Amino acid sequence: MRPTRLSALAAALLLLGAPIGAHAQEATRIQVTGEIIDTWCYYSGVMGGPDAVVGSAHQTCALWCSAGGIPVGLLAEDGTVYMVLRVGDDTESAGGDTLLKLAAHTVEADGMLYQRDGLNYLVVAEVVSDMDITNRNHNDYGNVPSFSIPDPNK
Amino acid sequence: MKHLTACLALIASPLAAQDFSEGSEARSWNLYAEVPAKFDAEVVDVLCTLTGDCPDDCGAGKRQLGLVRAADGALILPLKNSQPAFTGAAVDLAPFCRQTVTVDGLILDDPDLGARNVYLVQTIQAAGADRIKANQWTKDWARNNPDAPGKGPWFRRDPRINEIIATDGYLGLGLEEDRIYIEENF
Repeated sequence: MRPTRLSALAAALLLLGAPIGAHAQEATRIQVTGEIIDTWCYYSGVMGGPDAVVGSAHQTCALWCSAGGIPVGLLAEDGTVYMVLRVGDDTESAGGDTLLKLAAHTVEADGMLYQRDGLNYLVVAEVVSDMDITNRNHNDYGNVPSFSIPDPNK
Repeated sequence: MKHLTACLALIASPLAAQDFSEGSEARSWNLYAEVPAKFDAEVVDVLCTLTGDCPDDCGAGKRQLGLVRAADGALILPLKNSQPAFTGAAVDLAPFCRQTVTVDGLILDDPDLGARNVYLVQTIQAAGADRIKANQWTKDWARNNPDAPGKGPWFRRDPRINEIIATDGYLGLGLEEDRIYIEENF
């Protein structure tokens, strides 16, 4: 069927991500494996490059940022970042216990993916596996930031 | 197809050209990808907006809150408040749940990392109210943790953080890994 002007406009609005309805956007079920990261340090570069603000090098800072309510992300193996909004029954994505305990861990997550205005949002139904910290990068980058471990000599 | 192309061109061009830095008084953080941005927006619970799971209080600062920008309907995700203290923005935005406010701060735009529409909010102004700084997180933490032991900033004294470090170490790999690393590097 040839689109009318109205349906073409609606299609254009949908393509641009304009809000059509108030709630409940379309989602896709995905399984994704990656590291639970602190998105502020990763995106801002405030503590260093992206390879330095992940893993064991950044573990303590990841705890600080997660407890401080900074959005937690899942950095997939292909470099895609998913903003985590919920894990199982825990909807406390700003400073909640579940995400705090997963800081810097590599996990396999099963959930629903929502995409909006260039960002990926993940509602995790289940952490299928928790592999603990697998990125042991502290010997490459030190502890990031350098004050994350108190100097025992002071 | 001609109609669709024309509509896309008509609608997309003005949005792509919008500059939200006009009138911004945001303080630079000297970040690679920062762009000052002041705009009107509705404060929303992101989980509610996407899934329809909507508590009345938008999660009372425990859920991530977003800003639906009035000019173009884009959902902006604040990652930070204005405090240089590892603190997010949900506590500062929660009192304005479902209200339209004017925010000022820094957008991060780094396509190489996938940073789009993420934000550091520095000030919030509701209609008819004074502009306030987005700096409530540490005050909220102090109210909720009056007996936290030790000295120094909140992140050195937070009981939940210290419990994890006491078990897993600063590197998260166990106390023996910490001991070896500290011995070699301090």
